[in-house]
Amino acid sequence: MSSTTTDISRTGFSSEVFEQFLATRSEPSWITDARRAAFDQYQNLLQTELDPEEFKRVDLRVFNAGKFRPSAGTVDSSSISTLLSDKTEFGGSVAHVNGHVTQATVSDQIRAQGVLFGELQGLMTTHRELLEPYFMKKAVQTDADRFSAWHAAFWTGGTLLYVPRNVEVALPLHSLIAHSRDGVADFSHTLIILEDGARATLLEETASANDDIAGLHVGCVELIVGRDANLRYVQLQNWNQKSWHFAHQAGCVDSNASLQWTVVGLGSKLAHIHQDINLNGRAATAEVNGVTFVSDRQKISYYTQQHHKAQGTHSDLLYKEVLRDEARVIWRGMIKVDPAAQQTDGYQRSDALMLSDNARCDSIPGLEIEADDVKCTHGATTGRVDKEQIFYCMSRGIHRHEAMHMIVEGFFQKVYDRIPVEIVRETLSRTVQGKLGIESIAI
Amino acid sequence: MERVIGTDELKSGDRKTVYVDDIPALVIRIQDEYFVIEDVCSHDGQPLTNGPIQDCSIVCPRHAARFDLRSGKALCMPATEAIRVFKTEIRDGAVWAGR
Repeated sequence: MSSTTTDISRTGFSSEVFEQFLATRSEPSWITDARRAAFDQYQNLLQTELDPEEFKRVDLRVFNAGKFRPSAGTVDSSSISTLLSDKTEFGGSVAHVNGHVTQATVSDQIRAQGVLFGELQGLMTTHRELLEPYFMKKAVQTDADRFSAWHAAFWTGGTLLYVPRNVEVALPLHSLIAHSRDGVADFSHTLIILEDGARATLLEETASANDDIAGLHVGCVELIVGRDANLRYVQLQNWNQKSWHFAHQAGCVDSNASLQWTVVGLGSKLAHIHQDINLNGRAATAEVNGVTFVSDRQKISYYTQQHHKAQGTHSDLLYKEVLRDEARVIWRGMIKVDPAAQQTDGYQRSDALMLSDNARCDSIPGLEIEADDVKCTHGATTGRVDKEQIFYCMSRGIHRHEAMHMIVEGFFQKVYDRIPVEIVRETLSRTVQGKLGIESIAI
Repeated sequence: MERVIGTDELKSGDRKTVYVDDIPALVIRIQDEYFVIEDVCSHDGQPLTNGPIQDCSIVCPRHAARFDLRSGKALCMPATEAIRVFKTEIRDGAVWAGR
């Protein structure tokens, strides 16, 4: 005989919480109606099992949604320190704290180009005809699973970037999603639309005000890249280790367009990212980079899919993970090629470096190919630091810890080299050094 | 150490899912002995929750890896690594467990 303490109220929000949330919103009825429809789907999906292929290795038993609520109060953003915001010149910046916008700026030059960059809810209200056809309709679907429906019902704002046809935004743009209070649930949404021939770069990061607050982020990222357009998007996830992070992220790339997408996972107690790359148009290209460094008892899970839907498409995914202490990483990757996607070139690789006996990495690459004239390659490696490399460094007077840092840096270098924004490379290198604890060691 | 269950809550052979230091765990009673193990198979990383108990060991319900309840040691393939066993104490009519 067995019994468990499983409680369904731990997994999600009730209708009372939803009504309380709606009462705090001031928005057009069409948005409220969409929320209600999504909440109905959410309640149904809560009663169904999560897809075991995606979630069987993601242990959600300790997750308790009842500890978190959307924030209705005022926000103090002064205590948030970020990795990127003051490191370079940005063309505009949007910040959200506890689900509330605290800053939205864009340069006059970029605004004069017809670019829309700012807080999502306000722009959805003023530009409904332009944005409604995209919001959770092209990239991420509301009913994908309980997390996407949860997000669609409770989305608390977010960042919008819309770049008109043939416009190039020269300076990178910045977006911050942060938590400053204990028990906050935020549902930030990032929507990027590049019309044909447009070019832009958005650097997005997440942060917690301190190490003691517990937070929940159920996010969504939608990247729509038009014909011949180029988008460079970086998300640097740097929550504290008491935060839960669930995200649906999807990119749709049209003909001859390119998407350079970098996903960084440094923080959180448990993170699960569902990432879809849809190559919809002929000769569309996507380069996906992943940098993950987890320690203590952090768990980060990625479920990635490179979906080739048209002829001559190219995708290249490279994830690198470093694990120490009792941390765990799960990566489940799939290259899917439709019958029409002949001459596809798909590549996926995940490499994990284990720094302790008790860390664990599950890497599961996969292929599902329905065309007969394609080149698809996949693979995964997991290994420990080579003791001979450490010995070699030490024999030349390099401290053991510094040697370890050099090896970890070297491990990440290949993926750093692919990241198209220098400030991101520098920030990652510095952050990895901090996480290894090198700075505190006198050499 | 944290209190995980009262001694009167389980009969011999029964089990219950609890959380020890935010880790999913399983309390198992055999005769008058209580065992508290991490409820995760070291082979596939998924729960042992409903695995059969055999001679003071638990069998993973998916691939039949078997673990000693006292030491956590893997007793047969496909598992090769031990599972975590929490320290336990019986006092004040309850089972207490900790890392």
